[in-house]
Amino acid sequence: MPSSAPLILGFDTSGPWCGVALLRGDAVVAAQHEEMRKGQAERLFPMIEEVLAASGAELAALDAIGVGTGPGNFTGIRIAVSAARGLALSLGIPAVGVSLLEAMACGAPQGAPVLSALSAPRDHVYIEGFGTAQDIPRTFLPLDEISKSFAEDGLAVVGTAAAEVAAHLGATESPAAQDPAEAIARIAAQRWQGEVPPPAPLYFRPADAAPASDPPPRILDET
Amino acid sequence: MAEHFRILGIESSCDDSAASVVEGRPGAARVLSSIVEGQASLHAAFGGVVPEIAARAHAERLDGCVMRALDAAELTLRDVDAVAVTAGPGLIGGVMSGVMLAKGLALGAGKPLLGVNHLAGHALTPRLTDGLTYPYLMLLVSGGHCQFLLVKGPDAFSRLGGTIDDAPGEAFDKTARLLGLPQPGGPSVETEAAKGDPRRFRLPRPLLGKSGCDMSFSGLKTALLRARDSICAESGGLTRQDRADLCAAFQAAVSDVLVEKSRRALATYLELQPSQPALAVAGGVAANAAIRTALERLCESASVRFVAPPLSLCTDNAAMIAYAGLEMFQAGGRADMSLTARPRWPLDASQTPMLGSGKKGAKA
Repeated sequence: MPSSAPLILGFDTSGPWCGVALLRGDAVVAAQHEEMRKGQAERLFPMIEEVLAASGAELAALDAIGVGTGPGNFTGIRIAVSAARGLALSLGIPAVGVSLLEAMACGAPQGAPVLSALSAPRDHVYIEGFGTAQDIPRTFLPLDEISKSFAEDGLAVVGTAAAEVAAHLGATESPAAQDPAEAIARIAAQRWQGEVPPPAPLYFRPADAAPASDPPPRILDET
Repeated sequence: MAEHFRILGIESSCDDSAASVVEGRPGAARVLSSIVEGQASLHAAFGGVVPEIAARAHAERLDGCVMRALDAAELTLRDVDAVAVTAGPGLIGGVMSGVMLAKGLALGAGKPLLGVNHLAGHALTPRLTDGLTYPYLMLLVSGGHCQFLLVKGPDAFSRLGGTIDDAPGEAFDKTARLLGLPQPGGPSVETEAAKGDPRRFRLPRPLLGKSGCDMSFSGLKTALLRARDSICAESGGLTRQDRADLCAAFQAAVSDVLVEKSRRALATYLELQPSQPALAVAGGVAANAAIRTALERLCESASVRFVAPPLSLCTDNAAMIAYAGLEMFQAGGRADMSLTARPRWPLDASQTPMLGSGKKGAKA
């Protein structure tokens, strides 16, 4: 691979993990993926430094950043997105936000239908179809409300909720072809040139908040 | 002669996204730019700051604030000597966004990173605005905090006392809600209080009978609620005059407590025989003119200088974080890339925690 091939740093903390991958052209130069429930905010940057050190690449040589925008743990996606925004601003390079649903489906055999499914609290899931017969847009819903009509021949179900969703549909659970950070770097590599909006977390759900409950008193001489 | 530094500061611990550049040396620095993007409209419907809403806004706004602060100072990241960020205490989602952004900025630009305690930012502000010399007495009184601090150095704080429950700013907000006044409560309660009679309703002055500088404000809220409800039960509602009188009574009670506890804190402080004695206030409640006047009068009688930074540097802002960072940087402080965002981080670790305990540790 010529050294002029673009150098893309991908990272993701949207699930119970912390992952970083450095891509030069089509090749993964160095990568790390650690499972962790918490501590990503402390681990992410040291891991980025380790991946760069292992590859011998300088941060300043990066052409773009790919960052996982979830959906997933709200705090987790903000950790990576904020980090990416800081790096993008200081390095003067674009940061490309990539959904974890798309990242999980990355690397599936060409043309094969993939249903990406991610776990969410309270028996909910996030799903999105790629190359499926029916158009399955990004959706957040209870697991048991996924339409059985999504099942089709050769459908591979990937993602953190793959086992449950595959069982529900009677389909096949498949492991994701790549770690999230690598997949995110690969997708970012196809998109970083041109207009790139700043990466933003994918929430799907509004913040849990109830309007103030206690009503104010009646003001007697209000006209 | 200390060197001059330029520090970029970032603040996101509550509902203000802020960035600033400060230049100078400890005790002689100036604000080159200070950008604050508030979120009042986002939280208005909920009667208080919603942490998740705040965190979402910070994550997508802070980098813009940094760009605007650098532009306003006519600088680039290359021109600053270090990046200082609030690393706590505060709403953790927002603090974490700030810390991660700052790490990215520092690593990408090859600049040192500084993790600043938000309370230290407030406590050191009189050094930025008025060049106060150590030691001085600080009354930090805001929506989230209320404490007396002896400030003896950039990293040497002794807490003389503080609230054992709510902060006065919270009590002002709650009072406004109870009386159907708009948020934030501070200014709206103050405006009404100016039209009211503080003697019509007698509200308690909690902990005034106890020695020391500790305070309590949650009982005051309850007393106000009872007074409101008894009027409503009698007349089916409040007149505007009732409301103004309640506001005046509430404000007078807060003011009396703050003044009396300040008197005690001053006595302890003056035992240090400071060469240039000063009491500084910070936090949004310091903007209340009645409270400010009462504290000024107290200082005058004690021959102590009274310092209240301009409101823009009294309420949450990033210039105070940049300045506190400047003092830390001068003293050789550096954070590494594993810097942790802390929801709780008492300034004076030697004291028994006042609020919060258990595995999360002390809040303040």
